Amino acid sequence: MDNSNNAIEVKNIKKKFKIFIDKGSELKERILFKERKQYEEREVLKGISFDVKKGEAIGLIGHNGCGKSTTLKLLTRIYYPDEGTIEMDGRVSSLIELGAGFHPDMSGRENIYTNASIFGLSHKEIDERLEDIIEFSELEDFIDNPVRTYSSGMYMRLAFSVAINVDADILLIDEILAVGDANFQRKCFDRLRELKRKGTTIVIVSHSLGQIEQICDTTYWIEDGLIKESGIPRFVHERYMYEMERKRILQVEKEQLRRQQRRRAEAEKKEEEEARKEAKKSERQKAKEEAKRQKEEEERQKAIAENPEIVDNFKKEIPFFCEQDAIRVGTGEAEFTDVKLTDKDGNEKYIFDTDEDIYLRIKYKAHKEGLKGVLGFGVFRQDGLHCYGTNTAIESNQPIDLQKSGEAVIRIKNNLLPAYYYLDTALHGIDGVKYDDIVRTKTFMTASFLHDIGISRIKSTFTVDGKTYKMGEQEHGEQ
Amino acid sequence: MFKTFKEIINYREMIINLVKKDLRGRYKGSVFGFLWTFINPLFQLLIYTLAFTYILDSGIEQYYLWLFVALIPWIFFSSSIVGGSTSIRASKDLVTKIYFPREVLPIAYVTSCFVNMLLTFIIIFITVIIAGRGIHLSICMLPVVWIIEYILALGMAMFFSAITVYFRDMEHIMGIILQGWIYLTPVLFQIPDKAVAKAIMTINPMSPIILAYRDILYDGVFPSSERLLYSLGFALFFFFLGFFAFGRLKRHFAEEL
Repeated sequence: MDNSNNAIEVKNIKKKFKIFIDKGSELKERILFKERKQYEEREVLKGISFDVKKGEAIGLIGHNGCGKSTTLKLLTRIYYPDEGTIEMDGRVSSLIELGAGFHPDMSGRENIYTNASIFGLSHKEIDERLEDIIEFSELEDFIDNPVRTYSSGMYMRLAFSVAINVDADILLIDEILAVGDANFQRKCFDRLRELKRKGTTIVIVSHSLGQIEQICDTTYWIEDGLIKESGIPRFVHERYMYEMERKRILQVEKEQLRRQQRRRAEAEKKEEEEARKEAKKSERQKAKEEAKRQKEEEERQKAIAENPEIVDNFKKEIPFFCEQDAIRVGTGEAEFTDVKLTDKDGNEKYIFDTDEDIYLRIKYKAHKEGLKGVLGFGVFRQDGLHCYGTNTAIESNQPIDLQKSGEAVIRIKNNLLPAYYYLDTALHGIDGVKYDDIVRTKTFMTASFLHDIGISRIKSTFTVDGKTYKMGEQEHGEQ
Repeated sequence: MFKTFKEIINYREMIINLVKKDLRGRYKGSVFGFLWTFINPLFQLLIYTLAFTYILDSGIEQYYLWLFVALIPWIFFSSSIVGGSTSIRASKDLVTKIYFPREVLPIAYVTSCFVNMLLTFIIIFITVIIAGRGIHLSICMLPVVWIIEYILALGMAMFFSAITVYFRDMEHIMGIILQGWIYLTPVLFQIPDKAVAKAIMTINPMSPIILAYRDILYDGVFPSSERLLYSLGFALFFFFLGFFAFGRLKRHFAEEL
């Protein structure tokens, strides 16, 4: 111990595990497969150091497999570090595996003795604590019944009561505050706080950040076997949550991009094939088909002219660039051939930060010469709220001279707060005839580190007593 | 090592609990229950007595008693080592989930076998009296012999339990070794006159222990203290070797299991 005020000193611990592909611990296997490398080594902890003062409570957080539970198991001495040292001062009790050694046929009282003895208590010490343990567990009426007759809640209550009454100097806890009903949880919590006040050092591993905030003085955020950040729980947790959310949505985005790529490739393949077929056809055949198509087109135009309310579904099939549940209507005189959401460099993406510009890149085709049109888009939140909508006619009152094959880029200044959104796109005639109108062309998400609320960010500046408080400049406390 | 001993003493309640659980749980659910503790060795005694009196005449007077006083200690020794070597593996759930000095497990196992033997000694005493051999002053040496045998059994159980964690075949190998070992020890028959056999039986640290039991209970004389000291030396050697090896190997138990 470098410092006598410390209860735990962890110095640069490293731990590797052998992941056996096919574990052979029998003689035959050992001899026969001696040369074959049957395991891979995985470094779970890559050098972690921290000190815990006497009476301090710390929390270890991190996503699954980051090494936080391994750290706790090293502290309990179930595992030993490959490198580095762990020093601890005082009796250690762990609430990792509750009810170790419980025997179902023995009574609650007998099991208290067995279980407490595994924590290293002598018979006398257990006698002294017996009343407290039974009282805390609230199992007075059942304590002489065999444990197998207990409900799982009762079982856990008994186990927890033993572990917490060991009177340890250091308490190691792994995700256990989910014991029993709400009342009992409250009680466990109060007991933990009481122990802390009395000077017990506590180390908690938990996914419940709220619980850590309530008890701990410091949080250590472990990632990939290293401490990424430590400090006041609330502030560390805020950044941890943000990072977690970010990771999650990046994963969603990756999947969506992959799906989009696959569909684009399929569409291209199909187009190529059709082109090849087309090339094979004879002149006469081509002329015949062209005539047939023109006749069909004329009939359709006539029908629309007679009753302009009818706008038929010109394509039942949803094009590759749209969401699967998109709805497409229009005459098809002009049509979208590709729609992409990208950042300013043209990389396709689906998740944008609030305040990050969205670039909507569109490709279209017009099947008639001299067609004039209006291009527009609309944004809806997932719950259906219409957030925004505009088109070229609203913006400038000048119609677009549609090209045989053209392109458009719409830069959208995005202030939308974190949520899922739908984007609709529309290509109309100047008289309002729908050429191509797609509902839910795209979905996207927005993400933000700030906690402002509403639909869209309306930039605000607070000046209070002459001091300006700017958005995004929050105090994060000590790092 | 001193620290380990101190810690084990702190965990004595756990050892006591494990022993109790083992003794109570061993024949749980069977009709005769705890009586099996006595029935088992009695039947073994019956079989060996029939074999060595009627089939292979040993020519030993009151052979059943001669055998009985040696067979019970041998069963303790043999079951301690064979069962003790699997004691860590058998408690996998505890070892991988909670901390306690791992030495507790083989100690508890050997101790429970030991207690079992002591209980069977009640029957030995009764048999000795019924056979008309009488209890002699030399009986005061009996606890010394018990302790020497306990130390030897514990040391070996420790050593092999740690090995078995890493090398599972050890469990079966120990079973075979102990089956052979009984014929290198004067349990079923006297030390033969053939030089080679005599030499082996003399080196064997279990021989003086078995002979000591026979001296005390069958012949009613004091055992040879020189020969017993040899066994004690051997027992202490294995005891420290066992603890030392165990201490080195226990660090990776949780990962291996």
